[in-house]
Amino acid sequence: MQAMREKTYVPYLFLFPALFGIIVFKLLPIFQGLNESLYSPTFLQGEKIFVALDNYVTLLKDPVFWNSVKVTLLMNVVINPLQIGLALLLALLLNIQLKGIGFFRSIHFIPIAVSQPIACVLWALLLNQEQGIVNSILVALGLPAQPFLGSSEQALWVIIAISTWRGVGYWSVFLLAGLQEIPGSLYEAAAIDGAGRWERFKNVTFPMLKRPLIFVTVTDTVINFLMFSPMYILTKGGPENSTNVLMNESFNSAFQYSDLGRASAIVMMLLVLILIIIAAQFKLLKPKH
Amino acid sequence: MRKLSLLLVSLMMLMSIVAGCAKGSNQAEKPASGAAENGGKANSGNKTEVDFMVVSTWADDLQALATKFEEQNPNIKINFVSLPFRQMLEGIEVQMNSKKPSFDVFMVDGPLVSNYTVKGFLEPLDSYFSNDEKAKWVDASLQAGSYDGKFMAAPMNTSTDVLYYNKDIFAEKGIDLPAQDPDKRMTWEDTVELAKKLTFDQNGDGQTDIFGFTFRQVGRPYQLLPLANSLDAEVISKDGFTAQGFTNSDKMVQAAKFYYDTFNTWKISPKITPDETVEYFATGKTAMMIGSTAYIKMFTERGVPFGAAPFPYFNGNKAATPTGSFHLGLSSFSDKKEAAAEFIKFATTGEGAKFWFEQRNELPASKEVLHFITTDPKFEEFPSSVFRLAAFEAQNTAVPRPVSPGYLEWESLLTKAYEDIKAGSDPKKALDQAAEQSDRLLKKYDSLKK
Repeated sequence: MQAMREKTYVPYLFLFPALFGIIVFKLLPIFQGLNESLYSPTFLQGEKIFVALDNYVTLLKDPVFWNSVKVTLLMNVVINPLQIGLALLLALLLNIQLKGIGFFRSIHFIPIAVSQPIACVLWALLLNQEQGIVNSILVALGLPAQPFLGSSEQALWVIIAISTWRGVGYWSVFLLAGLQEIPGSLYEAAAIDGAGRWERFKNVTFPMLKRPLIFVTVTDTVINFLMFSPMYILTKGGPENSTNVLMNESFNSAFQYSDLGRASAIVMMLLVLILIIIAAQFKLLKPKH
Repeated sequence: MRKLSLLLVSLMMLMSIVAGCAKGSNQAEKPASGAAENGGKANSGNKTEVDFMVVSTWADDLQALATKFEEQNPNIKINFVSLPFRQMLEGIEVQMNSKKPSFDVFMVDGPLVSNYTVKGFLEPLDSYFSNDEKAKWVDASLQAGSYDGKFMAAPMNTSTDVLYYNKDIFAEKGIDLPAQDPDKRMTWEDTVELAKKLTFDQNGDGQTDIFGFTFRQVGRPYQLLPLANSLDAEVISKDGFTAQGFTNSDKMVQAAKFYYDTFNTWKISPKITPDETVEYFATGKTAMMIGSTAYIKMFTERGVPFGAAPFPYFNGNKAATPTGSFHLGLSSFSDKKEAAAEFIKFATTGEGAKFWFEQRNELPASKEVLHFITTDPKFEEFPSSVFRLAAFEAQNTAVPRPVSPGYLEWESLLTKAYEDIKAGSDPKKALDQAAEQSDRLLKKYDSLKK
């Protein structure tokens, strides 16, 4: 009986440091944010006043907020499938048994070794409107120079491209690990059954890859919904709010517009949005085996 | 045995958590206990350490000023926290909202004095400065540092901008140099015509190599509001609570259209960031640049073939120039207020103010130093004579930026609008949006209306 009791609490004991970290660094800030979103600043007195759901009501009437929702969703609808699709393709290529494949596996990982701010600054130099390298090449080829980050039509796509350049190598590592876990006997069996290359991918690779794929999909989605530094460094949310994602608008609210209540309300709504999308992803990608 | 090891593991975990928390609380308490032991001053050895939040472009000059102060006050050490302009503003918000003594002294842009006062960031300085000491600053700077009858931030200097030009590029194009005399001030229309001639592709690669004109502070209201001020525009309501009808008035739109045209119609200005403009001018990629007197020293040292002319105005309208600058604020959360105030006083008055002018070359707010500029014969020769021009502008054409408790929000939105206009947005649409959003954000200050 005593041994049983020991067995029941031992796992919790080992989980305790991780749980403690999650509570202190994740759950507590969420509750603090929720609490903060119910208050508005007052001035001179230095006190904040309880306004219940006012911040949320004001947000729902604010066209800038709705624009940010639109930009955030548009970016994620494009960037997540793009990154995951390219990462999967890259992982499949890197899984081919070739001489010197180790070298290729290493170089595709280089972009992730460049920190996000440095990558942004480097790309800003390359894409500089006035005599940036990319524009110099375009002009030399007889093509018109492009505004890139200075255009409301191009800026978001440029940010998506930079983030994808950085992200694909990273996510492909997880998928490559997943691919290498698939037993070769399954492919042999499929080949004996007469399955072609596509059939083998559809019936063996993809189902067996669902676990790493769901991890990559969920994590990548969360990271992209919370992406902030490229906008902060490259465009400040502009031009014409075309890159003003919810995270950027929340940051502006807190540190430029002196309104922590509005900033917290935006983050809370972003949290709800992410939870809904992740729940849908889990449902869709749930492994059947 | 198993039980014992389990107990040990649990104990170790508990101890590590307790130690972690205890460490955190010790760190938080340290300055306070230090303060108690040393009569309100935290101590490092025998020195009181004053933390100073500064804008990175000013850090080297301020370091020289701090060294001078430390020579005279061996018991005080000034530590720097240096950030780029926009990040400094954000850093102030983040750290002040934590209500901790993260820094003791910080740079406050003149129009932000009211905003920081209502948010409770600033400690009033009335008890540290006598009326005689306050009377030594020009009135506009003293007013800019005051809110609601209280003196909140001491002016380091004021500022004036001039039109710098590159003599070599003018010579290459055979164009006469602009005059430095304010009576022969160029109009914006003349300036644009010159700039068009000075914009060209030098190496024939199909891209513009030399641009005719740039503002040093591209996109920032400090340099762009004088365009509207020249047209006599009121940029925000007098009480500072309403932007609609002011920030997007016809005159503001007209001025913004001029700014738009420099990039998108006439293409005389490069689409670069404020961080790049000085290098563009100093390396001969821009023929004319609106900039502050602070660059005289740098251009002279680097051998830039420069001259200076007065800030242009719109034909048939009045001359209007930017003014105002950084003040030094004492953090209301500082636990070393006495030592911090001593530094503020040194930096903004008497010998320190004069040293600061010689070091930084921004137009002084001290009447004494201004008098020195207008009377000392060394300011008759170029390039020092540009300070005489600056002093003239400060007394005759300077238009201060507006006062509003929500200046930070208003300015951020206006900067965003100007950035969009540079990128090619319709000026009216951009200003309409800025005014509309600004009014929404300024609503939270309604309780301050009198």
